[in-house]
Amino acid sequence: MTAAPDQVSIKKRPGVPLIDGIDKVTGKARYTADLDHADALVGRIFRSPVSHADIIRLDVSKARALDGVVAVVTGDDCPHTYGVLPIAMNEYPLARGRVRYRGEPVAAVAAIDAETAERALNLIEFEVKELPAYYTSETARVPGAVLLHDNKPGNIERDVHSEFGDVRQGFAAADLVREEKFNCAEINHAQIEPHASLAEYDPATGRLMMQTVSQVGYYLHLMLAQCLEMDSSRIRVIKPFIGGGFGARVETLNFEIIAALLARASAGKVLMQLTREETFITHRARPQTDIKLKLGMRKDGRMNACECEVVQRGGAYAGYGIITILYAGALLQGIYDIPAVKYDGYRVYANLPPCGAMRGHGSVDMRHAFECLVDRMARELGLDPFAVRRANLLQAPTRTMNDLTVNSYGLAECLDKVERASGWHERIGRMPPGKGLGMACSHYVSGAAKPIHRTGEPHALVNLKLDFDGGVTALTGAADIGQGSSTMVAIAVAETLDISLDRIRVVSADTAITPKDNGAYSSRITFMVGNAAIDAAKNLKAVLVAAAAKKLEAKPEDIECAGEVFRVGKGDQSSLPFADVVAAALVDEGAITVKGSFTCPPEAQGGKHRGGAVGSTMGFSYAAQVVEVSIDDASGLVTVDKVWVALDCGHAINPLAVEGQIEGSVWMGMGQALCEETRYLEGLPAHASLLEYRMPTIAESPPIEVQIVESHDPYGPFGAKEASEGALAGFPPAMVNAIANAIGMDLNELPVTPDRVMDALIERRRKAKRNALKAAS
Amino acid sequence: MHAPGPPPKKRLLRLRLNGRWREDAVAERDLLVDYLRDVAHLTGVKTGCDGGECGACTVLVDGEAVPSCITLAVRCEGRDVETIEGLAAQGRLSRLQRAFHEKLGTQCGFCTPGMIMAAEALLRRIPNPSDQEIRTALSGNLCRCTGYVKIIESVHAAAESAS
Amino acid sequence: MSASLAEFRIAQPNTVKEAVAACLKHPGSRYVAGGTDLIVNMRRGISGPDLLVDLSGIDELSEIKTDGRGVTIGAGVTIAALARDKAIASRYRALAQAAAAIAGPGHRVMATVGGNLCLDTRCIYYNQSEWWRSANAYCLKNRGTVCHVAPQGQRCHAAFSGDLAPALLVYGAEVDIAGAQGQRRIPLSELYVEDGKAHLALAAGELVVAVHLPAAPPPSAYEKVRVRGAIDFPLAGVAAALTLSGTNVGSLRIALTGTNSRPFLLAGTEVFAGRPVDDKLLQEIDRLVQKQVQPMRTTIASANYRRVAAAALARRLVSKLTARE
Repeated sequence: MTAAPDQVSIKKRPGVPLIDGIDKVTGKARYTADLDHADALVGRIFRSPVSHADIIRLDVSKARALDGVVAVVTGDDCPHTYGVLPIAMNEYPLARGRVRYRGEPVAAVAAIDAETAERALNLIEFEVKELPAYYTSETARVPGAVLLHDNKPGNIERDVHSEFGDVRQGFAAADLVREEKFNCAEINHAQIEPHASLAEYDPATGRLMMQTVSQVGYYLHLMLAQCLEMDSSRIRVIKPFIGGGFGARVETLNFEIIAALLARASAGKVLMQLTREETFITHRARPQTDIKLKLGMRKDGRMNACECEVVQRGGAYAGYGIITILYAGALLQGIYDIPAVKYDGYRVYANLPPCGAMRGHGSVDMRHAFECLVDRMARELGLDPFAVRRANLLQAPTRTMNDLTVNSYGLAECLDKVERASGWHERIGRMPPGKGLGMACSHYVSGAAKPIHRTGEPHALVNLKLDFDGGVTALTGAADIGQGSSTMVAIAVAETLDISLDRIRVVSADTAITPKDNGAYSSRITFMVGNAAIDAAKNLKAVLVAAAAKKLEAKPEDIECAGEVFRVGKGDQSSLPFADVVAAALVDEGAITVKGSFTCPPEAQGGKHRGGAVGSTMGFSYAAQVVEVSIDDASGLVTVDKVWVALDCGHAINPLAVEGQIEGSVWMGMGQALCEETRYLEGLPAHASLLEYRMPTIAESPPIEVQIVESHDPYGPFGAKEASEGALAGFPPAMVNAIANAIGMDLNELPVTPDRVMDALIERRRKAKRNALKAAS
Repeated sequence: MHAPGPPPKKRLLRLRLNGRWREDAVAERDLLVDYLRDVAHLTGVKTGCDGGECGACTVLVDGEAVPSCITLAVRCEGRDVETIEGLAAQGRLSRLQRAFHEKLGTQCGFCTPGMIMAAEALLRRIPNPSDQEIRTALSGNLCRCTGYVKIIESVHAAAESAS
Repeated sequence: MSASLAEFRIAQPNTVKEAVAACLKHPGSRYVAGGTDLIVNMRRGISGPDLLVDLSGIDELSEIKTDGRGVTIGAGVTIAALARDKAIASRYRALAQAAAAIAGPGHRVMATVGGNLCLDTRCIYYNQSEWWRSANAYCLKNRGTVCHVAPQGQRCHAAFSGDLAPALLVYGAEVDIAGAQGQRRIPLSELYVEDGKAHLALAAGELVVAVHLPAAPPPSAYEKVRVRGAIDFPLAGVAAALTLSGTNVGSLRIALTGTNSRPFLLAGTEVFAGRPVDDKLLQEIDRLVQKQVQPMRTTIASANYRRVAAAALARRLVSKLTARE
């Protein structure tokens, strides 16, 4: 099916617990490290101790000779690069010729036990000629800097320049123009499950089976075929339970290919479990970002122009980098009506672990800068922050200047809801000392409308199988990583067929069984796979209705089916229970399999300008939030007392899961705002533990009051859009705006750790003293 | 060359695991988490960090919630160890398990077993805990999915279902 | 499974005497009580004893006893037990607050008073994996020759981060130490040395077995700064004990942790006796703290922050104690 305004209506269902929830609360759920690995070898990776160097000598002979070592692999075993975009695959699973960050995989061993594997790593001889290393965008871009990649002058992976509308004219017409610089630290997904893969190679059949933590099993499948030079029909990738992702696993990761290489080299089964430190080093998360933002505003709060420069320190390899830097520019639009937007983006290479996609991909730091500056300008103009946002709302349906389609838009209602719930007008300006309120808005895509691999295939497929037992099995390639996507598929099918949810079983993410799916990224699953599931269920319904009609000797168009009963018309006279209809439907052809699909139409796939596909989506979610903070001026510690958030997800297919996603994303935004940060000491991660990478504990995590706004997207499944990412980006600016409200200080650096607050407080005292001296003299 | 020596000598560990006494050979250096996962095959006990930082491996030892990843197995000699697998009696979910399931106190589920065990220790000590008591008792258990909101709701729901 | 610990044996003595004898007999041995510090360090490869002398079976270590002369807390008393003890909470408030603020609840169940007093010092260049430290040529504290925090210096600057010590210091606590020659008792302050690599003044085989608190403690309080509301070690921790005579200071003691390689009593607070607790006095306290603390770049948070925050906490604690009196 391609997108068309959907007619299926849905019953208002209270929240449904996750269909795999019982396995999780009983400990039965098997994650990768829990799979049977009694007969597996232990895989371990030898990692570069230096940041940037040419490899002079790599000698693994002693490691290979160690008793109990079954295989050793190096860059020689894989001459193929892997990556995300076909034009930017510049990473080898194991370094060849050069290492570009500390911790980069160089060699790997498979041994009979962990101890032997570790001993073998110590026997590897590695000789290098060190090169200058760059740990900041600034130093990497200095003229004459050694290039990390020879084909990337200036160590720039990609620079993006765009201007929509006339920015100069916009600023000229503005009553207030302000420019500020923001610096957002690099952060990490820090999903609680460390990375792991179980790879099994059968030399007799030449088949490889991978069970791994991937959010994108099908991309991994393709990369394995490419890197191992295998016929892809000999590969099978299965997703076990996954302990969170948030983008950590939306690209093929080096250890996955390495595990496969080891399995093949050892002709057996290899369990590769990374430590937490290695999981941090694998990284692929949100880059450190410098933002220079200039906005023009009229006295009434209307924005005239926006000019934004974003520099992302992307780490040593491309990964998702091009997409991240494009997102930051594209998503300047699609939330407010701004007549002129100019963007300059630079994705820079540095000798650090590669960055990648993380929840709110590309949009979060830019949105932070934007919402902070808007707030400050509102203050300067004496305008209410809510009023300023309202002065710039879009009208759906519309198409932005950069060709993003906005088909539904619930931001106004989000604003109303959090304004009321937080008691904004009664409280703002009357907060006790050290306390403040702040607000901000944000948005995010419901799936990238243009897939990364442009094969022409449908963007999502769901197969349904109905057999003698009366059970409906939904086969979906979509990876449930804890967000509840399998539950969403089950609900979509159950609603469309109007059958009991218990009748449905979802089998997901096994490349040998389920239809290909692009994976769990860009919040695409609900929109795309949800639509495909509805389409499949409609097709199944047609089969059942036809069978019921035949049996009841009626016309199919006269058959009504509801609550597992098929009737002629509305009457009760002739009806059939579900089981009888299934039996009738099986008579001619046996087990029924149907397929449903979804494809974003070309007009939704973005503009024709270079990079125009990024940011394009069938539906944006919108969110507004109010954050209340207290600041302790002795310690500089910021406490978040409460959050009120409203998110427009079009329609909440599973309100319980929607709430959970909104709470989780707001909270993750809080982590980035308050305390999370990856820091390197000459390229060595100082943060690579869950002690030093300070994600918030339950002790300081605030109550989050969630309200769901339903704008009924014309193309979304039952009107739904995404709910997992849109609210994240609003938290950091809402918090920083609240801090400004509390203590009158505008902070431009994330995270707002106590030391940064203290520095700002000291700086302010110094300034006050200087001014007092000046006044006195 | 480099022939490794024989594996370390093991000794017998006798403990009561999820209500049943058992005896296994363990090395003195074995961590409780590895004993539980690899010897007793109780893989509901999770490893999320490199030692003592995340709480995913939380089990009860003599009724107290402790991180099994920094506990030596041999120190559990004669003691009562409970894991998530021991909570559901005859397949019936415990009140915490039911509440975490129904209230969505679990998303990806990886921190869930440890979180539930920490909550179990709390409810045995304080049957009707306040928000603050829940926050304190679970503050060593990191969750990356939920923002903890529904975890607190789940513990309250479990406490209420018992009374 | 987890990366395996280097091989070791365990001795499980039932008395202090046996424990000390076992430790003395094996030069490569270490005492282990709760293990929340040592086992983590062993997992990182920064401690590799070949014998662990397990103290958990020694009953005599795990009692809290009160008599006319004060309170004796066994070194094996767990942090959780200490935090829950009603008598401690009512009279030795700083101690109860410090205990409740240690790490996470699971650690508090396992960790002990003795373990917290003898906590290893910490540093971002030290509390790292073997791969990390070897890539950085190790450090002065462990296998290396240079302190990365102060490469020109002669000593290790790793910071002591135990929470209990400052609370105990403001009461003038003493500790019993068992060793080859039997037992000795010293002021707690003498247990510590300003050297991150050797911060405990203990001879081979010596074991802290108990802490003594005086019977009539002054009103006290403890506060620490940390980024999160749990788990984190103190970036700076401050305990204060204050008596008033009328509205003036009777006696004031302030002790700090997290800022130096040892916990220490702030010197020079006796000059405040007889003075009113006013802004001037608070400012002097602030200056005194800032002058005596020596935070270095051992944590991700800046050294200067820890200095300023320690002073601010000291000020606030004194104000609060004054208001409470």
